[in-house]
Amino acid sequence: MTKAKKRALFMCILLAAFLVLVLLGKYLAPNDPYKTDLSHSLEGPSAQFPFGTDNLGRCILSRVLEGASASVFSALVVTGIVFAAGTAIGVAAGYLGGAADQILMKITMIFQAFPSFILAVAVAGILGPGLKNAMISLGVMYWTTYARLARSLVLRLRGEPYIQAARLCGAKRRHILWRHVLPAILPSMVTTGFLDISNVILSMAGLSFLGLGVQAPAAEWGLMISYGRSFLQSGPWCILFPSLALFVTVILFNLTGDCVRDALDVGGGM
Amino acid sequence: MLKFLVKKAGTLALVFLGITFLSFCLTYLAPSDPAEIQLNKMGVAPTEELLEQTREEMGLNRPLLVRYGDWLLDVLRGDMGTSLRNGRPVSSELLDALPYTAVLTVLSMAAVLLISIPTGIFCARHKDRAFDLFVRLVTYLFASLPSFFLALAALYLFSVRLGWLPVIASRGAAGVIMPVLVLTLSLSAWYIRQVRGIVLEELSKGYVAGARARGVPERQILFSHVIKNSMAPIVTLAGISLAGLLGGSTIVENIFSWPGLGKLAMDAISARDYPVIQGYVVWLAAIFLAVNFLVDLSYGLMDPRVRKGQEGRT
Repeated sequence: MTKAKKRALFMCILLAAFLVLVLLGKYLAPNDPYKTDLSHSLEGPSAQFPFGTDNLGRCILSRVLEGASASVFSALVVTGIVFAAGTAIGVAAGYLGGAADQILMKITMIFQAFPSFILAVAVAGILGPGLKNAMISLGVMYWTTYARLARSLVLRLRGEPYIQAARLCGAKRRHILWRHVLPAILPSMVTTGFLDISNVILSMAGLSFLGLGVQAPAAEWGLMISYGRSFLQSGPWCILFPSLALFVTVILFNLTGDCVRDALDVGGGM
Repeated sequence: MLKFLVKKAGTLALVFLGITFLSFCLTYLAPSDPAEIQLNKMGVAPTEELLEQTREEMGLNRPLLVRYGDWLLDVLRGDMGTSLRNGRPVSSELLDALPYTAVLTVLSMAAVLLISIPTGIFCARHKDRAFDLFVRLVTYLFASLPSFFLALAALYLFSVRLGWLPVIASRGAAGVIMPVLVLTLSLSAWYIRQVRGIVLEELSKGYVAGARARGVPERQILFSHVIKNSMAPIVTLAGISLAGLLGGSTIVENIFSWPGLGKLAMDAISARDYPVIQGYVVWLAAIFLAVNFLVDLSYGLMDPRVRKGQEGRT
């Protein structure tokens, strides 16, 4: 096992441990994340409330833990879906070529004409706020990356001697796709997907921050940060700790993505 | 050249139609009813007959394609309709917000390029030295921070702690400082990494090794060859960001209550002011087309081979 692979394995284990923590976050919360208690309004970090409390006296640590799954897993689900759908569309276009390919490229061009985050804001705004609609709007925004990448990889592969040899031997189209094309493009695709997760997490938090994602009183990091804006002066911890959680999550995904890229030895995907 | 322009214009027109039609469909699919919003605004309790009548007046009962066609013709004539919120023409709403966004865009883009290009080149030239490692670490951290956190941190530091700037941004010079600062910081982190990567790739090419072997001074290689060749991808990146910034930076404008296009769009979206949303989408499409076109032209200016290719097809 090379050094890069060892490092990637280590980061993946660390990330897995982190995800377990996110999953179990609800049960680790020291206090009830929704219990309001005005006698403890806007208290700084203490033994009882390690991250302090918000204006309603809710425990910030408990809310950060409670909100972890909404912030992280929704992004994972979105990335998974756009990864699968985008890859399928891109491979189909690249492999079939012709009119299907032309149409697909025009469609991705239209989608990419929008500054990406604004597209998500527009879609989420028109569909109405809520976690499901926020996820849909992020999907609309992110799928083109995968479609275009998969297409360009497939186009490059199509000319490879071993693919042509397989075709000459009379291999069926489906056989070539599943046995030769997909395994060959997967490393680049997975790397891109991995490095994209943190972008999705940040966009998701951005949507909730604008009030287009998860709705109050649910605990979600972007929403908590937005809510804490009013107490910037009297309780900066309301913003600091959810932001810190977001920051650590994004760094962790980015570092793991970088290590996976080095281990799979692909030049950055795009 | 002419053929190149015609082909290009055809593609761009297609993209324009695609974008506007898509957004038109989106507003069509939206759950809320513009007729109901209109009635509520007038203070009339919506009854079924009234709703039907208003829909008829607003032309909402016609088929989607007919409505899209009419709307498109109006836009081409320069009429984007009136806002559902305040009855003002959409075009003047957009024109009012545009200068604010333009100021932000020009200032932050200039700052970003002035910071990132020299830093990126310097880091690539002195790869793995202390400064490069430091810059890589800092940009890595900044790229992982959401822009709204940077904005709130700036607010906390400069307004709450130091008291240098007002919490609610004024619309003058003092108000522009923090939005520009936040945009510059978050964009620069990304740009420095990109510029560094582009220059490093250029430095690894054969002609650089060749020039070094011939004893061409390092400074000359860098300034008269490498930087020149790195410009095309950098200009492309700058074009993309320029388009994004001109579309209005939703989050930053909202936090600092900066009355630019991003805030206008956000307000329109939350009030379901469809004519304004549509007009905004037209604006986005127009910027995209313009920037795309300029970037293509600049390739020709920077690279004689591209220019030949563009002319050769005539």
